[in-house]
Amino acid sequence: MITLVGMNHRSAPLDLRERARIPEDELPAALAKLKEAAGVEEAVIVATCNRVELIARSARPGAANEIRAFLAAARGLELSEVERHVYDYEGLDAARHVFGVACGLDSMVLGEPQILGQVKRAYEIAREAGATGPVLDRLLQHVFAAAKRVRTSTGISRHAVSVAYAAATLARGIFDDLRGRSALLLGAGKMTELAARHLAGQGVSDLTITNRTYARAAVLADGLGGSAIPWDEFPAALARVDIVLTGTAAATPVVSRAQVRDVLRARRGKPLFIVDIAVPRDVEPEVRSLDGVYLYDIDDLQGVVDAGLDERRKAADEARRLLDLEVVAFDRWRQSVELGPTIAALRDRLHGVGREEIERFARRLSGMSPEHKAAVEELMRSAAPRVRMYREIFGLAEPHANARGTGEASEPGAADPPGDAPSRGPHRVIQGGRDT
Amino acid sequence: MAHALFLAALAALLLGAALAGIGEWRRREVAARAGAAALAMAWALEFVALTVRGVTDASVPLRNGAEYLLVLGWFVLTLHLFLWFRSGIRALALVLPPIAAVMVAAAHLLPSDARSGNGPGKIWFVFHTSIATAGMAALAVSFAMSVLFLIKDRALRARGGPKLLTRVPSLETVDRIGFQALMWGFPLLTIGIVTGMVYNTELHDRLWTWGFKEVFPVLAWGVFAVLLWARFARGVRGRRSAFLSIAGFGLGLLTLFGMVR
Repeated sequence: MITLVGMNHRSAPLDLRERARIPEDELPAALAKLKEAAGVEEAVIVATCNRVELIARSARPGAANEIRAFLAAARGLELSEVERHVYDYEGLDAARHVFGVACGLDSMVLGEPQILGQVKRAYEIAREAGATGPVLDRLLQHVFAAAKRVRTSTGISRHAVSVAYAAATLARGIFDDLRGRSALLLGAGKMTELAARHLAGQGVSDLTITNRTYARAAVLADGLGGSAIPWDEFPAALARVDIVLTGTAAATPVVSRAQVRDVLRARRGKPLFIVDIAVPRDVEPEVRSLDGVYLYDIDDLQGVVDAGLDERRKAADEARRLLDLEVVAFDRWRQSVELGPTIAALRDRLHGVGREEIERFARRLSGMSPEHKAAVEELMRSAAPRVRMYREIFGLAEPHANARGTGEASEPGAADPPGDAPSRGPHRVIQGGRDT
Repeated sequence: MAHALFLAALAALLLGAALAGIGEWRRREVAARAGAAALAMAWALEFVALTVRGVTDASVPLRNGAEYLLVLGWFVLTLHLFLWFRSGIRALALVLPPIAAVMVAAAHLLPSDARSGNGPGKIWFVFHTSIATAGMAALAVSFAMSVLFLIKDRALRARGGPKLLTRVPSLETVDRIGFQALMWGFPLLTIGIVTGMVYNTELHDRLWTWGFKEVFPVLAWGVFAVLLWARFARGVRGRRSAFLSIAGFGLGLLTLFGMVR
């Protein structure tokens, strides 16, 4: 039985998520402690800034209470507080949740791709710590393969969902590659800084910053690893850079159409990408019509974000449909493996019953020749049901495969004994066993 | 036999263009790959068919408008397969195979009674036609990239918010490929015109006869010359470049009138 206890941005406030997060270097110890909890045989802990997911396989149902208690104790939290803010899933629902989490369907930003890497990392740590076993190994490998398939077939992560991301997406429509590009920042406010950081994260390496107050430009230039220039030098810089990012508090536009037109010749046809995130706008809208100049204001970016969110929601619906199939496939495997030991135990027991019966009749059989005795023993053994019959009893067998009587691959932990057993054998043996 | 091969090539080309285009647009990997395979098959079939016809008729199969379009379509297909496998720019499948398909399909609609190429100066005829056709194929790639450029440019400037049009590569990419194609196409076109004049002299004892086959290539050459001059001397790129490249290729295609009349 797989049990999952977790908290995410919907179930728990940030303050609690921060305190509940288990640091990466403490994970192996935490996994070991979680495995000490009664009945937990395998465990994986995913802990990011937005979620904590404790995935465990336990021999018996109802492990959620113990896992909640473990989380409270491990992080020094009030149990009642943990109980209020966590969710728990068991069995198939738990597996379904892990599939959804890894695909970013449960993320604050729908379909964000980082979470898959975080789940992979969490699994690696658990595997290295020896905390995983056959079931969670299989579950997570299945999840990773499914996440990859879902991402390529739905394209969920492709659509921009933040203004900074939208700007980078638009830039990629113009430039081959953002690496090594130069950018000019007009204004040293919070918004420009955020957008600039995102561009830098995309590989834009040459940042020039200017501001009416030079000192603020210099401070931001230090923070971003760029260079600051005096405000009145920016028109010349327009001739040189690939990207212009404006976000000043000016009441009227600071970049005119004439200024941009004047540098076009010097740019020799190099495209100029201008993002104006200021309100009111910093760049005259007429700049738009210039050949080779691509100007976007905050509404344009928001439009890309809205379209991206829409696309992601559509993709998420499709992803959920695909994941349902993956969950079913995983479940089929899980049932067979979880019943494997049960089937083996049941078969051993039935063989035991057969041996006991032979011993009970030993005196009456004493007159038989060794060949006859061997034949009787053989009969008792082969009268025990075959694996396929157990699977039929548990509703696991494919009906048509059974009807045709085709051979099936044996399931883990339950080898099919050789020899043909008569099909009515099991009932007789079971009844015989109960009668005594 | 050549005829059956040509028909098979056309069928494979139409099928391949449709599969590759749909596969790329709807992002269906299987369709895209099947399309690429069909296009490769069409390329091979067309090549064999042209060779068979050339050997049977003991001539380069570039003797009339129909044959010109067949070979031009084959060249465009060659460039498509080369670029597709080498550059990994998948969106090429949206434009180049359809262009090749239209050329080859049109070839089957034109009268194919062989006319030119059997007079004196045969060697010049071979030179002239094959070089001019290869040049036009490169210019067709430049044309296709210009069309993609305008589509992408327009989407990025759309009123009511930019469209991303992620299936079309970045403006820089289409500009780069189009320019490279132009840098191959323009010299080939130049050589084609000069060898054409030499062939003309052999045939008619005159350099210039005011036929469509002379006027349109020279007009196209003039447009491309302006385009290149503007780009190198003035740094003109973008939409104006794209319009010139489209106009130049269009003028070049009008040469066909001189071949079917």
